[in-house]
Amino acid sequence: MRKLRALFMRLIGLLRAQRSEDDFAAELESHIEMDVEEGMRAGLSAAEARRQALIRMGSAEQARQRQREQRTLPLVENLLLDLRYALRGFRRNPMFTCTAIATLALGIGTTTAVFSVVDPILFRSLPYAHGDRLVSFGLSQPLEPREFTLGFFFFDWRAHQRPFDSVTYERGVNECAITEQNPVQMQCASVASNFFSTFGIAPVLGREFTQEEDQPNGPPAVLISYALWRERYNRDQRILDKTVAIDGRSMKIVGVLPQDFEMPRLQHADMVLPARVDFAHQHAENAGLGVPLWAFARLKPGVTVEQAREQMQPLFAQMQSVIPAQFRKEFHLSVRSLRDRQMQDQYRAAWLLLAAVFAVLVISCANVAGLLAVRGRAREGELTVRMALGASRRRLMGQALVDAGLLAAMGAVSGCLLALGLLHIFVAIAPTGVLFLSNAHLDLRILCFAALLTIGCTGACGILPTLQNPRSPVPNARATCSSAQTGFRRALVVAQIAVCVILLSSALLLVESFRNLQKQGLGMDAGGSFVVHVSLTRARYASNEAYMTFFLQAESALRALPGVSAVAVSDSVPPDGDSWRDMMRYPDLVVSGKPRTPAGVGGKVGVRRVTPGYFAALGIPLERGHSFVEEDRSQSGAQLILSRSLAARMFPQENPIGQHIQIASYMPYFVLNGPVYTVVGVAGDVKNAGLSGEDDPEFYTLRRNRPEDWSNRNELVLSTELPVSTVAPWIRAQIARMDSTAPVEVVPMRQEVNRLADRPRFEAALVGFFAFSGLLLSVIGLYGVIAYIAAQRTKEIGVRMALGATRANILRLITAEGLRLLLVGGAIGLAVSLLLASLLQKLLFHVSAHEPLSYAVVTALLALVGGCATLLPAIRAMKTDPMIALRTE
Amino acid sequence: MPEKTDVWQGTLALMVLRTLESMGSMHGYGLARRIEQISGDRLQLNYGTLYPALLKLEQEGFVRSRWGTSENNRKAKFYELTRAGQARVRKAAAEWEKTTEILARFLAPAEEA
Repeated sequence: MRKLRALFMRLIGLLRAQRSEDDFAAELESHIEMDVEEGMRAGLSAAEARRQALIRMGSAEQARQRQREQRTLPLVENLLLDLRYALRGFRRNPMFTCTAIATLALGIGTTTAVFSVVDPILFRSLPYAHGDRLVSFGLSQPLEPREFTLGFFFFDWRAHQRPFDSVTYERGVNECAITEQNPVQMQCASVASNFFSTFGIAPVLGREFTQEEDQPNGPPAVLISYALWRERYNRDQRILDKTVAIDGRSMKIVGVLPQDFEMPRLQHADMVLPARVDFAHQHAENAGLGVPLWAFARLKPGVTVEQAREQMQPLFAQMQSVIPAQFRKEFHLSVRSLRDRQMQDQYRAAWLLLAAVFAVLVISCANVAGLLAVRGRAREGELTVRMALGASRRRLMGQALVDAGLLAAMGAVSGCLLALGLLHIFVAIAPTGVLFLSNAHLDLRILCFAALLTIGCTGACGILPTLQNPRSPVPNARATCSSAQTGFRRALVVAQIAVCVILLSSALLLVESFRNLQKQGLGMDAGGSFVVHVSLTRARYASNEAYMTFFLQAESALRALPGVSAVAVSDSVPPDGDSWRDMMRYPDLVVSGKPRTPAGVGGKVGVRRVTPGYFAALGIPLERGHSFVEEDRSQSGAQLILSRSLAARMFPQENPIGQHIQIASYMPYFVLNGPVYTVVGVAGDVKNAGLSGEDDPEFYTLRRNRPEDWSNRNELVLSTELPVSTVAPWIRAQIARMDSTAPVEVVPMRQEVNRLADRPRFEAALVGFFAFSGLLLSVIGLYGVIAYIAAQRTKEIGVRMALGATRANILRLITAEGLRLLLVGGAIGLAVSLLLASLLQKLLFHVSAHEPLSYAVVTALLALVGGCATLLPAIRAMKTDPMIALRTE
Repeated sequence: MPEKTDVWQGTLALMVLRTLESMGSMHGYGLARRIEQISGDRLQLNYGTLYPALLKLEQEGFVRSRWGTSENNRKAKFYELTRAGQARVRKAAAEWEKTTEILARFLAPAEEA
């Protein structure tokens, strides 16, 4: 307790150093005076009395020092002194300070921000107890590359599989509605009864489904999401006693899902219902194929995904024998970890970002090392003097450490701020398609990692000069040590330049790719087009006829709006970024009077079912023939319009207009019993696989006023000159008049297209940002090393000039040094980026990863900026006065 | 002239406290002289060490100081015991006695070996 008090008093003593100092001086003075007086009283002369008093006192200075040490904490006092000294040094050299802090901040900030974004994508742990043992399995084929299963073989597989502990499935998410007071549109998932136990999901309240509830006609039961429980039921603890009416059926709420619950395919789900698949009757359903199911399983302990795939192979082979021979080759068995299924194409972009980030971190560490080495060199003289005056090595090291630590701390703080700002920017500009980004938060682990790394690097580099110096006080030895250091710095700069070239070239490729994306024609006039999506529930609109009635009515209601020039209903709309569209195989189109195309040839073909105004509403030109006309809607004849590319493929030599085409269906095997379509026109090609996908040929069929031409997939498209703010309320009002419960979305086509461009823009912007900071840092590094080398050779330059070297000679001497570094670094960088380019190719659109232009631009840019960084110190060296140069040192 | 002894480590504080206890408020010089007198001029007190010791006691709250005027009308800093200081003297004195007693037993000639 007393010790604490003393410590506290000493801390306070730090603050009042000067006053106490004076106080003590006065006290000592009075002490000596009294001693002198007493001596004089004893009969000594004044001078002798003072002499003896001073002897008795001992060294006054020592007393003062002892007093000072007792008064304050010497350690803290030294620290404060060092801090003050360091700050003064920083103020005297603001260029150095700002550069070092900016370098550190960039290194720490960007690393942390980007890692925080990438971490949930790459390393996020799944919110399931058995996350790392979960796999997704099934068939994949060209029309649906993500694995799925069908009822006719799934239950057989489940019964005979060996690699899994538990196998379960979900049946997707459908729109559903709570049909009691406060009706709302919801998303309902259907899952098997063992879904929760397989994944290791524990409801926060209640239980999972029982087997009885999963039977067809079992007792109705539902699990609700945490959000729904919180918002609609206000966290009612007695929720389990309640029922809820879903699509008109009263269901018992048997449980509440955990807050972090998510469906394995990441669909949004408000409620989960039992799937109730009648697996005894799968061979009778859906033309013998059974219902589609998405299968998931938990691996037995010790079984790898590869082993599981091998063990499933016999079951797959057995199933394959049922598939008609012509399609057999299209189907593949897919068994992969759930994480892989979820992440798909996110991996590559995430790795790219991560690599870019570490490149920047490496560059900034190298840079700080370089900067501090320059500073250390500048301080060598000072250190020697201080050492000669008796400063202990520990004291010098302590000071260097404080200096570097302060720098690193300032860098770390600004780095944190930068990271926070960047993260906000990333989240703001990120496309919606990037999973989990919206809840990304600053990752403390990586913040600590980046900060420690840079601080460690700073500390090590800062303390280096004090370590080297004492051992080699001889000027000669110092010179050799410096040249070793120069070699190290040269290597650093070469590495920096190389990394920077890699960054720059990747960034340029991505930017180029993004520009291509933006430049490409959509094949339609998106300017005045709007897409209107109306969500209707199966409960209220039970049949295709009900949908047809509603949308025909909506079509004519919208057409009546002022300023609307064309309205149509289609089952899907381009450019089909992530929305549903119907696809079929090319051989399924059979031209009357021609042989069928062999199966497996020709790839995919898109199909849209549209009303006549479609082409006008989206501004798609008709190149031959004519569009569908209003009168044909009530006719019985089936009509069809081909896209240019499909027409060119099907009828390379002939006129496609008037040809008859039949579309095969599978019940479950190839049959040709559908209507015979007459080709009435050829429309221009429209982007239909997102912005970056390879376009598929497609065709359009006319939606007549017959229920069989309609489905529950309906999008209204319209064209108008009016702005969205004017049109949207009118549209909403019109739809509300027909069904006030149906939610309406009005999206300008332009906005939809932009949204699809978000992702490449995001990638290009991020990597561009890194490349820019990398370039900046490398240039600083290059400048630093050249300036350092030039300064080191000042004496040599002086000698050379004294011996008759011209200024041009000197300029050449220094510039050559910089250019050599640029050349070596640039060459290494170009070589490595060419090697790495193939990794980038998948992210690029219409750009070759080896495009010479990008590399030429990188080289030019580097030469330009690097040249400037070299020239500046070279010119300064050139202007050296030989007399002054010779006098240095 | 008798041989002078250096002040043992740690005993100076006790001497200071004890002197202040018996003499009341004193300035540094008076304190030093007094300690020397009590020791019968057998102690060699380095005045330079007195002041840090005083400061330490002050920091620990056993003494307090204030500026005043000496008997010769000179400005001087006076030290006096605080309440905690008084308690401290008693405790330290008791401890010291115990220590010396123990030491004395060790140093006493063997009685019945």
